[in-house]
Amino acid sequence: MPTVTRLIVPFLRGRGVSGGPGRCSITAPVLDPFLIWLESTTFSTWMRESPSLFAFPMILAAHTIGLGLLAGVDVAHNLRVLGVAPGIPLAAFNRFLPVMWLGLGLNVMSGVALLIGYPTKALTNPVFYLKLFLVAVAVVLVVVIRRPRPHAPKRLAVVSLLCWAGAIVAGRLLAYTYTRLDALS
Amino acid sequence: MTMEPFQYWLEVTLSSVPPVRAFMQTGWGWPAVESVHFLGLTLLFGSIAVWDMRLLGMVRGVPIAAFHRLVPFAVVGFAVNVASGSLFLMAEANQYLYNPAFHVKMLLVGLAGLNVLVFYVAIFRRLDRLGAGMATRAAQMSGAFSLIFWIGVIICGRLITFYRPTVCSPDRAAGLLADCILR
Repeated sequence: MPTVTRLIVPFLRGRGVSGGPGRCSITAPVLDPFLIWLESTTFSTWMRESPSLFAFPMILAAHTIGLGLLAGVDVAHNLRVLGVAPGIPLAAFNRFLPVMWLGLGLNVMSGVALLIGYPTKALTNPVFYLKLFLVAVAVVLVVVIRRPRPHAPKRLAVVSLLCWAGAIVAGRLLAYTYTRLDALS
Repeated sequence: MTMEPFQYWLEVTLSSVPPVRAFMQTGWGWPAVESVHFLGLTLLFGSIAVWDMRLLGMVRGVPIAAFHRLVPFAVVGFAVNVASGSLFLMAEANQYLYNPAFHVKMLLVGLAGLNVLVFYVAIFRRLDRLGAGMATRAAQMSGAFSLIFWIGVIICGRLITFYRPTVCSPDRAAGLLADCILR
């Protein structure tokens, strides 16, 4: 946790957000030509510049609905593993897996679209990789926590809840901690 | 009838809570409260969506009463979001009170609340005896409305930032709800 704080605190003190040059970009210069190219593609430009409600705003909204379907339903399952609502058999939650995978699909698609719109903003921000890592762990746990075992996997449920909480907070902080908005800044 | 005097009164009242404004303007204030708002969203939506899906006929073999134990967690999520949402409102009242996306969001929160009220007054008592099996038609409707309203709340919440109001022009006529900042 101290590492995370050390990474985030300087960003929140107003450095970079106002558009100053990234002083400690973690992107190797070799990535910049790729970012410049990606940001010049039609889709990337559309994501940033389309005035349509169904471009950036609704894709952002879809990303939050996917969050609710995947992380939200998984939180309910984790609560059940921890002992809440004991009348529901643990296996009953497998029936909600298609809904959760729908949420994951929605968020991979909307997430990739948002990433193509602002690739430099995300890829030069360590918090973005932290978010991806936490989401990956939480998604793997969706499967692992369902393996047959003699006792309810309460520790895994706690880890899963912490991963989702961390991923959500990291996702929110992406709007505050970036150092470069686009490849040319 | 116009709501504009009420909106203006609300703006002045909400803006006059000095510690909130000061806290939200610190570097950590806004991102921290936004994070809490999204954590609350996840708890609220996840718990209520599972409950709604059971009402709609998923996992019919398990008694409805067993799933009802999840509802208090949705209430906790809702309480967290009323609290965190109020902080946004007090910190930047005019950005919300004259924002059409916020108006629709509050309307949908109200409809979701009304749906809950109707459910507990008219539907739940008969449902509890049902146990396992398909919920009544009315309960299925309640579950469907709940999902629609809460998804709508999420969408409108995210659209707030794209509907930031500008200052009203001096010659505009009063409407039901102002969607520009009154002076």
